[in-house]
Amino acid sequence: MRNPTFFAAAIGAAAAVFIVAALIGNDYLFFAGYTVVQYIVLAAAWNMLGGYCGYVNFGTAAFFALGAYTTVFFHKAYPLPIPVLLVIAAGVSGLVGLGTGYLTLRLRGAFFSIATLALAVVLQTFVVNWDYVGGSRGAYVIRPDSVDVFGFQLDYVRYLSLIMLLLAAVSVAISRAIERSKLGYGFATIRDDELAAEASGVPTLRLKLIATTLSGALMGMAGAPFPYYIGYVEPASTFGLTYAVNAIAMPLIGGTTVWFGPLIGSILLGTLTQIATVTISSAVNLLLVGLLLVGFVIVAPNGLVGLIREFLRAASPGRPDVRSIGLVAVASYGFIVGVLEVVFSLAALTAPDATGLMLAFAGLVLACLWIVSAYGMMTLQRWSPLMATIAFALSIVVGAIHIWADRTAFNISLWGAGGAVAIVSLWFLQRRYVQQLYRPKLTELEVAA
Amino acid sequence: MDFSADLLVNALVAGLLLGGFYAAVTVGISISFGILDIVNIAHPAFIIVGSYVAYIINSRFGIDPILVGVIALPAFYALGAATYQLYHVSFERRGQEGLRGLAFFFGLLFITEVVLILVFGVDYRYVSAPYIDKSYTFGLLQLPMRMVVPCVMSLLMLALLQLFLGRTFIGRAIMAVAQDQGALRLMAADPIKIKRIAFAISIATCALGGAFLIIIQPVEPSIGRDYIGRVFAICVLGGLGSLPGTLIGAILLGIVESFTATFYGPSWAPAVSFGLLLLTLAVRPAGLLGR
Repeated sequence: MRNPTFFAAAIGAAAAVFIVAALIGNDYLFFAGYTVVQYIVLAAAWNMLGGYCGYVNFGTAAFFALGAYTTVFFHKAYPLPIPVLLVIAAGVSGLVGLGTGYLTLRLRGAFFSIATLALAVVLQTFVVNWDYVGGSRGAYVIRPDSVDVFGFQLDYVRYLSLIMLLLAAVSVAISRAIERSKLGYGFATIRDDELAAEASGVPTLRLKLIATTLSGALMGMAGAPFPYYIGYVEPASTFGLTYAVNAIAMPLIGGTTVWFGPLIGSILLGTLTQIATVTISSAVNLLLVGLLLVGFVIVAPNGLVGLIREFLRAASPGRPDVRSIGLVAVASYGFIVGVLEVVFSLAALTAPDATGLMLAFAGLVLACLWIVSAYGMMTLQRWSPLMATIAFALSIVVGAIHIWADRTAFNISLWGAGGAVAIVSLWFLQRRYVQQLYRPKLTELEVAA
Repeated sequence: MDFSADLLVNALVAGLLLGGFYAAVTVGISISFGILDIVNIAHPAFIIVGSYVAYIINSRFGIDPILVGVIALPAFYALGAATYQLYHVSFERRGQEGLRGLAFFFGLLFITEVVLILVFGVDYRYVSAPYIDKSYTFGLLQLPMRMVVPCVMSLLMLALLQLFLGRTFIGRAIMAVAQDQGALRLMAADPIKIKRIAFAISIATCALGGAFLIIIQPVEPSIGRDYIGRVFAICVLGGLGSLPGTLIGAILLGIVESFTATFYGPSWAPAVSFGLLLLTLAVRPAGLLGR
């Protein structure tokens, strides 16, 4: 797909998501969805420098907060419409990115990372000491009830969500365009071997500065509508590590080298953290993000996309066949359900009654089985089909207990659907052509070697 | 702004004492980042863990926090060795120190902070020891013992480490790892083992550094973040991998911070380290005593 076509498609997708959400008409959906979409922008922005060039930016919060505080400043000085604020925030954050990059990017990569980490602390110090934007007390930003968009009266949170969706579409389209351009190849040479790139005449410093500025500007744009969304901004949470760790975790979990890696990562992790914040607590949810980040960089260094790509390369060289696509589907299902199971089991651990506790522990065990077997299936481990079979069989039992314990229509349909998927997956996993993949004959082993 | 001799002298002395303490929290980074080239961003998190260990044992058994730090040394050494092993197997051997190694340490920093918040909450914790509330006055000069004791102890620790690195076989091997791993292997020394020992020592210093920290000020989990800028600023300012450089850098930062806090207000102090770091990187990236 050519870039303009993709750009139009991305905008169309964003509009479609907005229309579907508006038809559902739940206010909470918009409130939670905004955060997820905001992370799509942050993750895509981080990946332009981190994933494409290999330079780690720990200062996502700094750039994000710069955007947010630009809005706070103009809210007090001279209220402007949000699209204008987006442009100003992009300018401010982009310039700060350029400055930080210019001072540190000529040195080893580690110095840039440390500088970005310290940048958050310093900007926070400035904001704390700047009374005009609220200082350490924070600032209230009262949002209007509704806004007039081309003659439509639109609820303000929905308006902000629409803007964020469009911004997400733009940033994903930009990352894709970069990836396939001369600029993207330049970035990739920096990531792979900067010295060799420099020697071959790639203007590395200029490319790195472009990446830093672009990435910083997008992060600032993501932050600009934030004060209107949240209503109250204070330095400690706006500059908090949460943004930094999420913006790093999402691309690394999704996959850093392709544009859809951060997209997948941010949708998955963003949704997960929203669920975890509601069902457990925001502290546990942060712990979950940290553990997932560390787990993924150790076990699956190339993220979910890398895991699936390597699997497809090994399982069906050439074109993906039904078997490999089916296995990817089963493993993805297992992984997602496993992670959700962890969240809900942790939430249920706080339940006082014995049945709840037992179910929670069963859920945790099941979740471990699921995640490990999904990983095993993607890395062609011999034991994984058996383990997945056990997990699916157990899930039917657990689902039956759930339905028996609480016979609501919601529970029956949820666990019933889970059971149906489990039965289909069990049937699929027992097929001989699936089993063969995990027990290669000697000749196949030799071919692989 | 009052500019009296009284303030000036006390700010200078406070800065010197603070600098001595900063040297203790930075020396671990000087070893891991300066000598081994491992960008251990999680170092301040280990220091906070050290503080909480000192807090728990001190509040439960009333043992002196510095003594707790000394007792905890082997445990922190083991923790460091385990961390290095994980880092080596997952990142160094695959050649992925750059992006993923950094993310790994960042994740560790984050996990430690969140776990501490979940377990202890965000309350400030402090220790009790007979010397913490004492202060001696010589004319204009005030010497609070809660600053003097950590400063003296950290200078002692620094001297011991310098002796160890310069005079013992393992210490010299650690210095050699920084220069040429291949040559070290030719001398029949295993560079991985040497690096593991060195990294473990760098984490072990956190047990003492954490104890000093909680003597000087009350500690809460997210305080470690302020120290990231400081330790790396000192490490770069002094020159990577040089312990005397670390001491000089630490004392410089201590004095500058103390003057900023005295004459502009303490809320500006965190920005000083970053300014110093940027200035060093822009003007002389090799640091004062850089090789």
